[in-house]
Amino acid sequence: MEMSAPFFKYGLFGDEASLLVAFAIGIGFGFFLERAGFGSARKLVAQFYLTDLAVFKVMFTAIVTAMLGVTYLAWMGVLDLSLVYLVPTYWVPQVVGGLLLGAGFVIGGYCPGTSMAAVATGRIDGLVYALGIGAGTLAFAGLFPVLRGLYLAGSAGAQTLPQLFHLPYGLVVFAVVLMALAGFYGAGLVEAHFGARGERS
Amino acid sequence: MAMRWSWSRLSLNQKLAAGALTLGLLALFARPNRGNVITLDVKELATIIDKEGDHVTAGELGGWIVAGHADYRLIDLRSEKEYAEYHIPTAENVTLTALPDAPLLANEKIVLYSEGGIHASQAWMLLRAKGFKNAYTLKGGLDQWKEDILFPTLAENATPQERARFERAAALAKFFGGSPQAGGTQTVAAKMPEMPKVEAPAAAAGATSTPPKKKKEGC
Repeated sequence: MEMSAPFFKYGLFGDEASLLVAFAIGIGFGFFLERAGFGSARKLVAQFYLTDLAVFKVMFTAIVTAMLGVTYLAWMGVLDLSLVYLVPTYWVPQVVGGLLLGAGFVIGGYCPGTSMAAVATGRIDGLVYALGIGAGTLAFAGLFPVLRGLYLAGSAGAQTLPQLFHLPYGLVVFAVVLMALAGFYGAGLVEAHFGARGERS
Repeated sequence: MAMRWSWSRLSLNQKLAAGALTLGLLALFARPNRGNVITLDVKELATIIDKEGDHVTAGELGGWIVAGHADYRLIDLRSEKEYAEYHIPTAENVTLTALPDAPLLANEKIVLYSEGGIHASQAWMLLRAKGFKNAYTLKGGLDQWKEDILFPTLAENATPQERARFERAAALAKFFGGSPQAGGTQTVAAKMPEMPKVEAPAAAAGATSTPPKKKKEGC
């Protein structure tokens, strides 16, 4: 079969149309976040109290689903994996940023995507959180000349697990599936343990 | 004893898990195409080169440095030794072999230069292949920079317009620590005037070349 994806890279649509596509995907993403209950900070922070690990389960399910889809599409020759954009690794800012985002998640009860879903359903706390994201983004942009060194520290280029561990691509896929299934099983045990003792809200 | 196993007894989640496991197992044999093939729009590149949209001139670059622009990154592709001897103010040293892994961002305005310009052009191709849309070369390389910026010459039989242009060039040359060559009947063979010291040019503030001292901030 002729390679035909990623559609954007093969020029199926241009820059402007790609924004519309992104909008449609974004709406779909938000819809399913909301349907999974992630428009509520209570549901999200239950993750950190170990009473409800739905966030972990939904996100890992999404990862496994997308991974299998991409693997099989590439295997069938429909998707050219070498054209899929990989976020380059800058491990210092990514570790720092990850910790910051985690702290913000615990304090604010949302992550960026879920806060937008919360805003869409009219939650005030989601709105405050989204304003915080805007303010933080502006502050970062303003401070960029100062933060540039940090921003570019620890550059390791675009990395993939198969390349990093010198393992066959399929083996990594299988390992991640196993990890997910073990994780789901473990999450069930954790919920049974902490969820039973915790007060229902 | 244990209940007889049957597919219909499984919950939806368990069925999905079994499906994922099966697909994961099958994926062990997957040979997805992930070739290192890069696709270049040859026509687009040819158009850019033809329209001279792939380079900046020494004069333009000099103007940016004087004005203290900080929206570009100037990359010196020569060896470390050559870089240490002289480099254009604000330049960072990234050798050609180090370029593919250099911490450059695809959306940055990047100006590449080498001694003459051939290496810079080749590096430009590499960056374009990596998806850098905002890459340029310094037209004529460092040679042209010396000729136009550091050591501009004024012919003896210059017209008034040429003299006026030379005055401006001379001011720029002094800014960069060069020496304008007035009234010279220099031939190409004439020995090169002394290169300015690396520290000498009163480099515009703003764009500094190496930011290691900044690393402490922000953590």
